[in-house]
Amino acid sequence: MKTNRTTAVMSASCALALTLALAACGGGGGDPAPTGSGTPSADSAITVGIATVDHLTPGNQETAYDVLLPLFAPLVSIDETGQVSYVQAESIDSSDGITWTVKLRDGWTFHNGEKVTADSYINAWNHAAYGPNAWINNFELAPIAGYAEMQGEAPAAEALSGLSKVDDTTFTVELSVADRQFPLQLSDAQTAFYPMPAAAFEDLDAYDVNPIGNGPFQMTEPWDVAGQGDIVLAAYPDYAGDKPAISQINYKIYIDIATAYTDALAGTLDVANVAGSKTAVAREDFGDRFMPLDAPSVDWLGFNPDDPRFDDIRVRQALSMAIDREAVNDAIFSGSQVPATSLTSPNMPGNPDGICGEYCEFHPDQAKELLAQAGGLEGSVEVLFVGGWGQEDMFEALATQLSQNLGIEAVATPSTDFADFQARRDAGQYSLLRGHWGALYASQQNTLRAAFTADGLGNNATFYSNPEVDALINEADSAPTLEAAYEGYVKVQERILADFPTIPTFANRFLWVTSERIDTMPSTQGSPFYARITLK
Amino acid sequence: MVFLGVTVIIYLAVFALPGDPIRAFLGPKQVPESTIDALRVKYHLNDPIWVQYWDYISGIFRGDFGTNFAGRPVADQMSARWPVTIALGLTAWVMEIVAGVAIGIVSALRKGKWLDYSLLAFTVLASCIPVFVMGLVAQLIFGVKLGWLPVAGVAEGWPRSYLLPAAIIAVFGLPAVSRLVRGAMVESLEAESVTMLRAHGMSEGRIIGVHVLRNSLIPASTYLATDLGYLLGGSVIIEGIFNLPGVGNLMFEAIKAHEGTTVVGVATALIVVFLLTSLLIELLHALLDPRIRRSRSHV
Repeated sequence: MKTNRTTAVMSASCALALTLALAACGGGGGDPAPTGSGTPSADSAITVGIATVDHLTPGNQETAYDVLLPLFAPLVSIDETGQVSYVQAESIDSSDGITWTVKLRDGWTFHNGEKVTADSYINAWNHAAYGPNAWINNFELAPIAGYAEMQGEAPAAEALSGLSKVDDTTFTVELSVADRQFPLQLSDAQTAFYPMPAAAFEDLDAYDVNPIGNGPFQMTEPWDVAGQGDIVLAAYPDYAGDKPAISQINYKIYIDIATAYTDALAGTLDVANVAGSKTAVAREDFGDRFMPLDAPSVDWLGFNPDDPRFDDIRVRQALSMAIDREAVNDAIFSGSQVPATSLTSPNMPGNPDGICGEYCEFHPDQAKELLAQAGGLEGSVEVLFVGGWGQEDMFEALATQLSQNLGIEAVATPSTDFADFQARRDAGQYSLLRGHWGALYASQQNTLRAAFTADGLGNNATFYSNPEVDALINEADSAPTLEAAYEGYVKVQERILADFPTIPTFANRFLWVTSERIDTMPSTQGSPFYARITLK
Repeated sequence: MVFLGVTVIIYLAVFALPGDPIRAFLGPKQVPESTIDALRVKYHLNDPIWVQYWDYISGIFRGDFGTNFAGRPVADQMSARWPVTIALGLTAWVMEIVAGVAIGIVSALRKGKWLDYSLLAFTVLASCIPVFVMGLVAQLIFGVKLGWLPVAGVAEGWPRSYLLPAAIIAVFGLPAVSRLVRGAMVESLEAESVTMLRAHGMSEGRIIGVHVLRNSLIPASTYLATDLGYLLGGSVIIEGIFNLPGVGNLMFEAIKAHEGTTVVGVATALIVVFLLTSLLIELLHALLDPRIRRSRSHV
């Protein structure tokens, strides 16, 4: 209790002396002096508003992606056009799709001067894959051979058997099953695949607030996490890749991200994220500085697998055809989202846009007819969604569409929070429920595996799995060329849609506003490439 | 004993929150069960509640407030967040006192006149506006349009970063303070002692400043001292809108994530603050009213 008592006593004495010397008290006890304020801001520094950040260790972060992106150079990078390029990797090759040889570019260094070597990868990946470390991006390593033996409370192995070092800049990765999409898995957003220097493992707590990366920007000082201080990055002078055009990135953390919008209006921020419901206002306030970026994520409505009313495929198709996605998009998002026409985001390379066909289009008469053929839909249809995330309007609009166009009784029901949503889902207290998947890399593989296979992390909103689909996915994954893989995923989507297990609703765009100083803002999968921003 | 009882109750309350703490902490992130289990083991969440509580409380006696689910010391968080809340609370408190007392005096002196009524209407109506509406409007006017003050954040330090949010908090205390001061002052002004002083030819300014005002501040001071305790607890909404990393938000996030260690730590510290503000009330009363001081010294 000592710390608290001291603080409290101090506050009381401050209060007593207050009318005389407020400034002294405020200055002494009140000024938290954010870490970034002492750094001189050069002309080519930008300020970015982000939501709260948890960890800065790449294998263990949930919300630090925006900060890590300029701090690390991934092996592979994917730009907004879907163009794949090597960054830290010189080449990633495999003859059979099972064993991959990763060659690193020579002469690249971490911000502490340490060379980026095969060990930097092997050590980081092993640490992330080791179950008892409880790193939350642990699952990204799952395709590598030996992953399963490293899980549980007392795992049999401490290292991935699938990793072996060839020389200082070469290592091989053996996968459990053949997968030609593996290089894409090593791209920007799968942060568990970032390298870590030997210095990191000497003090992981210190590293977590002061990460040493291999990217174009480095930390200027440890992040004041307790005081939610700014995170300030400066260009790393010895970066061997493309040199950035800006000198400094200052991340301001917002408890409530809506405040970042107001700060962007005031010109305090150069880049800020905007909620979908704010599209119309943002367009008016920012004009062409309002930027919707295609994101790799999709929304759908899942059916309660234990509700017999949805057993007939015609009922599921009728519900889907009764939704005017364009109208909902215009009314709720001012047209900033993308009505779904496939199971995966149109942003994915080789995506079969329109494969859902008429069932994802608005055909109210056909929908009514189909529902009548199937014997109608009795009773109330409860659409469960997560309350407090600003999605009330969207789900009410979707429920209204179903009620009006089919003459059924559909209601949108919010949960109190995400934990409550999960509890209600697990208890089966819903008819339809919110489904969402944000892919971490630009391949249809990620969404299809996550949502439509039994072990997928997104399966808890589709409850769909089918051995035929599993086989088709494996076939597409192991296809020798990307083109062949895309054809394979078309077959997967066709097969899944033949069972019509979900109602695809929207593909997402992430919305951003920028200040007048920003000239170009390249992006990857809906997120800005901060390091590649250019100023006017 | 009080301390032990309070921590047990709060710890149990956090434990009783519905939903799994690790799931609540992870939020929307989809994480496999194996990782959730590993996190449960890491933060001893599979132990019985009494074992968890004992670990926590014995840690406190060693000066260790435990860690949150990100593995970071709770003590660090508290010592970083309190200064923000204290700066905000005290600034708001002073504004409330200065404006509230001023409005109270003017109202009392103009009792029954249009100024009295319009000040009443103004303070009550202003405090009826929802706090987030007032916050946003104030940000747009003073931060965006006029550019006088920062929209949000603590980057500019005290006082600039705190003026806007503190003023909004103060508005909500104005009706009570000004009415209490006005009421007591009207009473004192009509007291026989004042008529006596007037009869003795004492100047009106001296009568009001020295004799009336001093007596009229006692009821308001009781309210203000309680209010200070409340202000130092932090405001979730104001801290959120103005992006002030204070203790209110720390508490809010910790409850959402079911972080018993943080919740108990902050709550216990808050109890100490409330105890101290009660002490403050007593001291202030004695300062304002010589009768209290004298009667105490005789006991």
